[in-house]
Amino acid sequence: MSSGLRLDRLAKTFPNGTAALGELSADIEAGAFVSLLGPSGCGKSTVLRLIAGLEEPTRGRVGWPQTRGSLGFIFQEPTLMAWATATNNIALPLELAGMAKSEARERARVALEKVGLAGFADALPRELSGGMRMRVSIARALVADPDVLLMDEPFAALDEFTRGKLNDDLLRLWAERRFTGIFVTHSVFEAVYLSQRILILSGRPGRLVADIENPAPYPREPGYRTSAAFNATARDILDALEDVSTC
Amino acid sequence: MLMRGLRIILPIALFLGLIRFWEWSVVYLEIPPFILPPPSAILAVFATDGASLLGSAWTTLGTTLAAFTLATVSGTALAALFASSRIAEAALSPYAVILQVTPIIAIAPLIIVWVGLDNAWLTVLILAWIAAFFPVLASATAGLKAVDPNLRDLFRLYRADFRQTFIRLMVPSSLPYLLAGIKTAGGLALVGAVVAEFAAASGNTDGLAWRILEAGNRLQIAKMFAALLLLALMGVVLYAILSFVEWLLLHRWHGDRRHA
Repeated sequence: MSSGLRLDRLAKTFPNGTAALGELSADIEAGAFVSLLGPSGCGKSTVLRLIAGLEEPTRGRVGWPQTRGSLGFIFQEPTLMAWATATNNIALPLELAGMAKSEARERARVALEKVGLAGFADALPRELSGGMRMRVSIARALVADPDVLLMDEPFAALDEFTRGKLNDDLLRLWAERRFTGIFVTHSVFEAVYLSQRILILSGRPGRLVADIENPAPYPREPGYRTSAAFNATARDILDALEDVSTC
Repeated sequence: MLMRGLRIILPIALFLGLIRFWEWSVVYLEIPPFILPPPSAILAVFATDGASLLGSAWTTLGTTLAAFTLATVSGTALAALFASSRIAEAALSPYAVILQVTPIIAIAPLIIVWVGLDNAWLTVLILAWIAAFFPVLASATAGLKAVDPNLRDLFRLYRADFRQTFIRLMVPSSLPYLLAGIKTAGGLALVGAVVAEFAAASGNTDGLAWRILEAGNRLQIAKMFAALLLLALMGVVLYAILSFVEWLLLHRWHGDRRHA
């Protein structure tokens, strides 16, 4: 299951006067993997928070086909409950929705296996490495089978190797579930590797300066990172970013 | 392992050494026993007046534990109310502070008048409760405010209601803060109970404070020391128990919260 959505002249100015987002309009197809790319502090995270309903837009609206799709959210930090085991952290969205504990935890264990942490069901966050915590966070976001997965620079704090591995895991999970993925990043290469489409934001307030398609087929293997097709898309993006002022 | 052994052996060795020195110096310097009695005389008090001292200790301990329990329950409940209603917090928190900063010994006469001399034990309980209440309220309030904003967003995203958010997120997040406050409250309940016994209840309750006053008036200095020893022992044991409970509840997940 997945759901498309429409950003309709979405704008956000915070009460302190900071204009985080100008007018952003974009149609995002059901099942697409889209990246929002731009320098830090360009309102990319604000877009995700508006879609998630964690902030109200100053103007414009987020349009859904019928009702708001179910959402998963991956934050920049793993954002786990330090007092709960990996399993219980992952079971949280299900239990909050009223699912029986035993069933929720069974599904959490399956989700944990999907992210390669089968042996860590009872581990507490502090007993896991940074990359493993992020995997738990991914499993939690996906356990309720969301229509839309919002990701806010989830791998920015990880080292290059872990990050590459998690990129591949994320694409594999996307291929299985076909959620609509919206991925915020300030890494050009991560955006190219993951996405079908890259929206480039600039400014403060954030504005859409380019909308670039990445036609490379999936599944994308690590070899794609050094291919000519990868370079061509990266070049397009870097050209578009030339005109973008840093925030 | 060697360090660990030394950490236990050294204080005990020092203690025994000091006792020895005390005993020796009292005899050698001919200090009169109504100024400083030797340790052996203090120990002897337990043989003669042990029953009455322990009975008094039992009274003081009972008041302390009751006040501590009341303070923990009421402090936590009020903090929960503050967390769920900004209006309640704005309206009530100044009064909590006023209660805290006013010395309890100064409130004592008022409480006696209200409660009546016949209920001296209740006066002591109320005063000890006031002394122990504030650290619980302050730490629980701080803890409930220290919830990770991202986790709060996550709960909102999954449309958790207030009850779910409170039980699953706010209570566990604030637990380390709350337990630190409770540990302080344990010691303060004892201090409050003894101060209140001095101020409000001399002759009307038979707590340790009364034994100390009584012994002082009769220049039974060894008995005063014995009572003080019991008080110190109670304080240490209370603190040790609360520290152990804290360790029991937190040691697994509270090792390093920064990366959690």
